[in-house]
Amino acid sequence: MLKARHNAVYNSRVPKMFISYLRPPRGVCPYLLVFFSLYFSAARVWAADWSGPEQQLASKIASVTGPGAVALDVASRSSISKIDSDEIARGLRARLSTLGVQYAKAEQAAASVQISLSENLQNYIWVAEIHQGAGESSVVMISFPRPAGGTVGGQSPAPTIRRTPLWSQDERILDVVSLDVNGKPLHLIVLTPEQLGIYRFQDGRWQQDQTLPITHSRPWPRDIRGRLVLSKEHLFDVYLPGTFCQSTAAVPLSLSCRDSDDPWPLGNEQVILSGFFAPRRNFFTGVLVPGVGNQTTAPSFYSAAPLPRDKYVLWLLTAVGGQVHALDGITDQTVARLGWGSDIASVRTTCGSGWQVLATQSGNASTESVRAYEFPDRDPVPMSQTLEFNGSITALWTESGGSTAVAISKNSEMGGYEAFRLAIACGQ
Amino acid sequence: MRPFGWRSLAASSLLLAALASAATRPQYGGTVRISTRIAPASLDPADGAQQDSITRRNLTRLIFDTLVTLDNAGKVQPALATSWKAEPGTQRWEFWLRHDVKFHDGSPLTGDAVAASLRTANPKWSIFPNGDSVVIECDAPAPNLLGELALPRNAIAKRTAPGKIFGTGPFQIADWQPGKKLTLQAEEGYWNGRPFIDSIAIEMSKSFRDQMISLELGKADLIEVAPEQVRRTMMEGRHVVTSAPVELIALVFARDRQSAEDGKLREAVSLSLDRASIRNVLLQGQGEPAAGILPNWISGYAFVFPVDANLRRAQELRGEVPRAPVWTLSYDAGDPLGRVIAERIALNARDAGITLQPSLSGTADVRLVHVLLGSIDPHIALANVGASLGLSQPKFNGSSVEDLYQAESAILRTQRLIPLFQLPAAYALSPSVKAWNQERDGTWRLPDVWLETEKP
Repeated sequence: MLKARHNAVYNSRVPKMFISYLRPPRGVCPYLLVFFSLYFSAARVWAADWSGPEQQLASKIASVTGPGAVALDVASRSSISKIDSDEIARGLRARLSTLGVQYAKAEQAAASVQISLSENLQNYIWVAEIHQGAGESSVVMISFPRPAGGTVGGQSPAPTIRRTPLWSQDERILDVVSLDVNGKPLHLIVLTPEQLGIYRFQDGRWQQDQTLPITHSRPWPRDIRGRLVLSKEHLFDVYLPGTFCQSTAAVPLSLSCRDSDDPWPLGNEQVILSGFFAPRRNFFTGVLVPGVGNQTTAPSFYSAAPLPRDKYVLWLLTAVGGQVHALDGITDQTVARLGWGSDIASVRTTCGSGWQVLATQSGNASTESVRAYEFPDRDPVPMSQTLEFNGSITALWTESGGSTAVAISKNSEMGGYEAFRLAIACGQ
Repeated sequence: MRPFGWRSLAASSLLLAALASAATRPQYGGTVRISTRIAPASLDPADGAQQDSITRRNLTRLIFDTLVTLDNAGKVQPALATSWKAEPGTQRWEFWLRHDVKFHDGSPLTGDAVAASLRTANPKWSIFPNGDSVVIECDAPAPNLLGELALPRNAIAKRTAPGKIFGTGPFQIADWQPGKKLTLQAEEGYWNGRPFIDSIAIEMSKSFRDQMISLELGKADLIEVAPEQVRRTMMEGRHVVTSAPVELIALVFARDRQSAEDGKLREAVSLSLDRASIRNVLLQGQGEPAAGILPNWISGYAFVFPVDANLRRAQELRGEVPRAPVWTLSYDAGDPLGRVIAERIALNARDAGITLQPSLSGTADVRLVHVLLGSIDPHIALANVGASLGLSQPKFNGSSVEDLYQAESAILRTQRLIPLFQLPAAYALSPSVKAWNQERDGTWRLPDVWLETEKP
């Protein structure tokens, strides 16, 4: 039975790595490679070789018309670009020519051929309608697979929030941890609902080291969230709704998961606070451990961000009801309507008060953005332009060092998920 | 340090906040109220006696799951089956079932239950459980079996007593008054994640007009919109969503072509039709004129079937037939759009010298029909149209696009069918419905929908 299962035809999706296509020249920072791979991946897919389909269609046309003069018209009814369709038209003429079919004006041609570059859900469909004299017209066609996905979205550089692409794949990403040495990535851990992928940067590309399945007894909630936290005792902990997983410390790693309602860490290395997560929902219950000063409960919330002050820590919570609450250990103050989204994360910087909040905002139905805010007092002041994402932001977590955050975005064009590291660059 | 222009940014931030609503995570709770024209007497997905419609298919998918599904690109995705294997020849298939899935009565999904369900929908197949898998043996090679199994009629149902039926889908039946009202409750333990909304209340047998009134009065969150009303509804500022074209409007002759002259008259009718005008005026710009059965987004070659009218050629063909019979043209009495389209077709045919008499008779020479394509798999869609209209089944010589084209052309050459338009499914939503998403074929993704509560 097991053997039969392994032969089953369904294949799980193959992750798309940002930087698997190019080999870095010596001395080139791998991050540059990541960026360039992202930037050029759209062009990569269909800097295409159309010669095969051209040859195939030309042969079919020639088999109907035979050698002679034909009037040829090529029109695109597909997502193929004008540049590519012009290139294809030239290629078809050249290949027909080698088959003895010469291009001629309509009045001099023995046949007219209308070629349509069309497409359906999965394939390009190239159709040739051939009209010869008064006889019936003939239709010949070929099909071949379209590339999956479209283009990688805009990399509009933001002046103050720096975005570095980390990873991209079709399956939902919940969190990503990048283990860097001297600013260079060595390992990447990618948390998805069903597994952890561990990758090693070697020979200029990410190579998969290990995949650790996540076992869970209960179905995941629909808007599943998860957090990956580095640990000093072992390598890392994984927090998922109603489930807690712990890795071993030794290589090769293993992961043990159990049903658990343990609170999730909300702070960072400098600020300790945890919150209980509703196991069948997408929010924190509002119960805090050990609490913010005397405050151990708050309204249910989606995310929390600490802003350390001289003598206390101001905690911002985005409540399920839509407000933003500021907890200082004594009072629970509702901050004025901000137009913030559900996800916020704070980062430590060398500008302003030293801590800023990254908050999601919505642009329109298909895109979202992040903006950095300073909290000089209790009211936020925006300190950066908005950084647009090509889709909705599904997660925003502060990284363990506290100076950067990880944002996960669902690309509205390609449909896959992309992980980015966000950092605030002061004065740039 | 001087913070770089924070104050000016603050002003623009306030403006942004006013313009843009916050990107909040989905909220749980609430009831989505749906109003629909359909009035099924049964919720059994395999009950072929119930009228087929996009809405009925969508209701089925709320309560029941299929072994596999087709995504927006037509690719097969796992659902109740997590993996599968076909023997060479594609006549024998084996499907491995997802573990820990339960029917809404609490009983586990087993190979026995799946086999029993599929046998009801497909009496000709040999289906038997094999441990945690199910084997399907078809009476002929079935290269498109996965697409077949993704159809709602093949959804897995547990039938315990007459009228008692349980699914494994995201919602379970809370109250069912056949043909009138259906209330569904979110299934807490749904294997693919509990829906955000708590329940769905569906009012049936409501005309388009009554549905629109319900939406305007805030008594419905999701209604159907007639094709000719889509433009007006959008201009009124309502949130209207449409699918890709999923329904074919066509003329169907009651009998096979009787003679060469009969064929010339049928061709003359087809050439007389001014589809563009009918679309612009009667359909208010909705839909696509069609002379083929499959829309271009499914086939990729629909444009090779010309849709333009050629009245001169139609008149020539008519002139080649000395005596033309008077044909009756029937349409659905409950379809006001059908009546005006039939009348316009009769006018077009008259210009070519052919008499078509609109009629409500059930025994007309020609019928104006709406038929669902039913699948985004072109082979299945073509077969479905043929079966729905009582036409000969398409014969595929292979799986290439040319084979598909040849099969479709062969059906059209019989002249039993004159395609007219491909229509999308259209819905209007209340402003509180968030994260509305539907597949290109009009399949709702209601488990992902959530309702926005008023923000403070």
